[in-house]
Amino acid sequence: MIVTRSWLNNFIDLSEISDEKLYETLNSIGLEVDSIKKYNIPQKVVVGKIISCEKHPDADKLNVCQIDIGSGVRQIVCGAKNVVDAQYVAVATIGAKLGEDFEIKHAKLRGVESEGMVCSASELGLPDIGDGIMILDESIGELVIGKDLNEYEKVADTVIELELTANRGDCLSIHGVARDLSAALNIPINKFDYESQNSEKIGIARIAKLTKKGIIPASLQYAMANIKDLHTSLILSLRLAFVKEPQKDSISSILRYIIHSTGVILRAYDVSNVNLEEEKIEIEIINEYKVINIAINGKIQSQVGIYQNEEGMAKDDSSIVLFESSYAHPEDLVDVVAEKKLKTDELYYNTSRGSEPNLHFGVQYLTYLLETYTGCTLYDGAISLDEEQEEKIITITTQEISELIGNKIEKIEIMNILISLGFKVQSSIEDKFGVTVPPFRHDIENIQDVAEEVVRIIGINNIEAKPLKFIEKTHNNETINKHYAKKALRLRATANGFDESISYAFADKTLLEKYHFPIVSEELDIINPITNDFSTLRTTVLINLLQAAQRNVNYSQKSTALFEIGPVFNKNREEEEVFSLIFTGQKESENVSNAGKPSSIDFETFTKKLSAIIGNFELRTSMEHNGLIHPYQSADIIIDNTICGFLTKVHPTVCEKFDLKDTFVAEIDFNTLIPKHINAHAISKFQGVYKDLSFVIDKNIPYNQISVTIKSLNLPLLKKFYAVDVYEDEELGDKKSLTLRLFIQSLDNTLKDEAIESTVNSIIEKLNSEYGATLR
Amino acid sequence: MENLEKMIEEADSLEELEKVRVELFGKKGALSKEFAKLKDIPGPEKKAFAEGLNQKKEKLQTLFDKRYETLKKEEIEKLLKEEALDVSLYGNLEERGALHPVMETMDKIIDYFVALNFAIEEGPKIEDDFHNFEALNLPKNHPAREMQDTFFCKDGAVLRTHTSPVQIRTMLKQKPPIRMIAPGAVFRKDYDLTHTPMFHQVEGLVVGEKGEVNFANLKSIMSEFLHYMFGDVEVRFRPSFFPFTEPSAEVDISCIFCEAKGCRVCSHTGWLEVLGCGIVDSNVFDAVEYKNVSGYAFGLGVERFAMLLHKIPDLRMLFEGDRRLLEQFR
Repeated sequence: MIVTRSWLNNFIDLSEISDEKLYETLNSIGLEVDSIKKYNIPQKVVVGKIISCEKHPDADKLNVCQIDIGSGVRQIVCGAKNVVDAQYVAVATIGAKLGEDFEIKHAKLRGVESEGMVCSASELGLPDIGDGIMILDESIGELVIGKDLNEYEKVADTVIELELTANRGDCLSIHGVARDLSAALNIPINKFDYESQNSEKIGIARIAKLTKKGIIPASLQYAMANIKDLHTSLILSLRLAFVKEPQKDSISSILRYIIHSTGVILRAYDVSNVNLEEEKIEIEIINEYKVINIAINGKIQSQVGIYQNEEGMAKDDSSIVLFESSYAHPEDLVDVVAEKKLKTDELYYNTSRGSEPNLHFGVQYLTYLLETYTGCTLYDGAISLDEEQEEKIITITTQEISELIGNKIEKIEIMNILISLGFKVQSSIEDKFGVTVPPFRHDIENIQDVAEEVVRIIGINNIEAKPLKFIEKTHNNETINKHYAKKALRLRATANGFDESISYAFADKTLLEKYHFPIVSEELDIINPITNDFSTLRTTVLINLLQAAQRNVNYSQKSTALFEIGPVFNKNREEEEVFSLIFTGQKESENVSNAGKPSSIDFETFTKKLSAIIGNFELRTSMEHNGLIHPYQSADIIIDNTICGFLTKVHPTVCEKFDLKDTFVAEIDFNTLIPKHINAHAISKFQGVYKDLSFVIDKNIPYNQISVTIKSLNLPLLKKFYAVDVYEDEELGDKKSLTLRLFIQSLDNTLKDEAIESTVNSIIEKLNSEYGATLR
Repeated sequence: MENLEKMIEEADSLEELEKVRVELFGKKGALSKEFAKLKDIPGPEKKAFAEGLNQKKEKLQTLFDKRYETLKKEEIEKLLKEEALDVSLYGNLEERGALHPVMETMDKIIDYFVALNFAIEEGPKIEDDFHNFEALNLPKNHPAREMQDTFFCKDGAVLRTHTSPVQIRTMLKQKPPIRMIAPGAVFRKDYDLTHTPMFHQVEGLVVGEKGEVNFANLKSIMSEFLHYMFGDVEVRFRPSFFPFTEPSAEVDISCIFCEAKGCRVCSHTGWLEVLGCGIVDSNVFDAVEYKNVSGYAFGLGVERFAMLLHKIPDLRMLFEGDRRLLEQFR
């Protein structure tokens, strides 16, 4: 919604209010100011009167004008076609600066002296109002020859763009904004009143007839005019340009101007082809399944508050026009439009937010404009259909209002604020009283809405802030613990060189398919994705991380380590949070220790980093089958005997697609990483011994299989064991040498040789019987 | 004797000195030999000889210890020199990664409210119409729904457009008093320089008995919170409209880029809009069947906070895992 200062002045006297105060007040009452712009007309641009205008002797397109600029008559050459129709114009005299590098000087145009320039609106810095020079008329004020144009406040206006919230349909007009300002600034609103001149003596009721079919939950009022000498005044064009309203022809501009001024919805129908001598204009209002159709002489022309057919619209060449002002309830309109998917026109923005219900105001304003600025003659009176409006009454108490706000507000203050906003207040001596909501405030339903009105006008900044005193139990919960566990995990990841990344929870479906990741089922997927890159909900973060790594490679990063904790979805669109990591390129920074040539990330380095971040885990040959998996360097990550994710070197063909060198990724279910409660074991006071055993064993048996086998023996003295050497050579053939280191310790006594022997032998025998392993 | 002293003084390494020690003080060393003579010396002279010998031994020992000290010191000095490094070569190794500025900002916000005994609550990212709209006083066809471009799923579910549905879920699950925040990702179908299809919000809700929680309380906590986040700034409240709160306010801080003088970032107004808040609308309480309660709610965009706090110029860069940005936060 755009307003201008001088336009607001039509309804409220703002002469004592500075632009700063106006800006502050609008913001403080909830009409947020988006921008404020003061138009200044350059110095030495004055009102000039054209005395004569003749063709230039040597140039067809130029005119030589004699113009009175108050201080004398000047000869000015002008190129605009419309100068020949002009009487009063804006003249930039010698010395006027129309731009930083544009000063008006004496000139000779094709041999003819020119002492100034006749200006168009845009040349003066005003918005464009059409071709040619700006022709001045009295609509901007009394035209005094030689007066600085900058002194005309309707031209050198201040334009304020407001960002209205969706509930304030009542402020979609100059009058509506003035009404709100009136309450806030305590300046009375000028009541608009105009008596028609009734130049056409025939009453409208004699030539038009209104009928209705069904219950009509809307109000309508009709007026009629013979159209003559229709044109738009300067102020009308200029203001419509200030508020960025489109200007097609005169009649639509006039309607737009009234709608923007009053908030009343107006439409005009061409009824020129009705022979009024013989027939009447039949207006039928038909409720057809909640859509209110207007038919004129049997033909449906519009739907109230929704749409008007182009065909029947009044044009500048219409000779008789039927004007309609209308109001329908915004809630009814939005429902029926959504339900029936109806086509709407630009006025629907106003009607769906609630237009001005005072129809008479709109019709009166129209009458005033047509009779004052055009030669149109209006038929006497109006015909209307008025819906019985039930008044909205809300019962409030001073105490409740004060409680909601948190400051004590006096009853008299509340009453005064509400009265200034157009509420009717029932007086009572009690704390409790009823208020009647003005019909233009569709948004006010209950006491909280009323409290908001009080807050708005008092100003939130004038409400004293008070800390809340709250007696209650602790609100510490599981989610808080989870948050801090997540934070600790994130910090460990950064301590190990990974940068935290965030990516959209979307993915390119074709990529997920290509790399054999699960896909959210068709019947559950998003139907209105924003682009093909984000065509579905993601089922892995790894594709996003690969894309991020690729971008970094393009920015010449030699190494990229990223992690992300974020949501993914499974086939059934169930949400899960995963911890995903990627490491690509050099495994450490380039420095003197590695002679500036660090080696690439490898399985061991990546796994060690991961272990430093998430703690201890086992690795087993991966069961994952997605397209990133490297068949010989991938593993399932096992914590407490549960698979909670996987890590893999990225398959070389995938690396190639993403322009990456050696790359490792891991993706782990975040919930499995939340620290669990730990109970300490007893600690042995006795010395333990380390024993190394080297086995020759089939090379295809992975370590984790051997590990599981040894664990299954449940040897009480075997505290821990791990592999320390793997060796293969030609001599060993399809076998490998695997050295295990055992740590043997008793909780109860010093170890005897026999006990050690027995533990070691159990292992040797078991591995021999299971896998044919022999000691080297 | 002088010869012995000379041997000590001339030893020029610890190894040599050790040899000297054996020669002098060892079982078969020079001193032992001298002491062996004692047994052949007659009684009266024995004492004087022994005393002289002891003095000589002591003198040699002192000389030896001194020499040892000197040689040991020299050796350590040499060792240290051998280990000399240009330590300055080993700075700036860039071994640590960085937390994402958005997540780090979210942590800071969470810490404030957790310290004030707010619980953290979570909710699903895929929501239904009831929790995301209807229960929040956003009936179907309400023009306010247009404020939020929504992603829809084929079965009618939506990607939550705000964290507000978590309010509804928490109220349905728990009883007042409630004091919670809901941080998390939200989705809107909007993608340009200043909008991304996913971003993060932190939502807050406090519910107490009727008459207990009011607008003045909300004003108090929001002002304090913004001072905690942005330091010494001015805080301004403007009435606004959100379907789920009434009265509602938008909160601005004085521009931290130009000290409220007016610049490009604040559109020359001197103010930056940072959050929305209000008194919970009774329609919302009706939707969760709460009676005789009062409450306030607030919501903010974490990306906006992070961008303002860290003067990050480009919103979309935040979602690209771009190390050029991230490494600045190490």
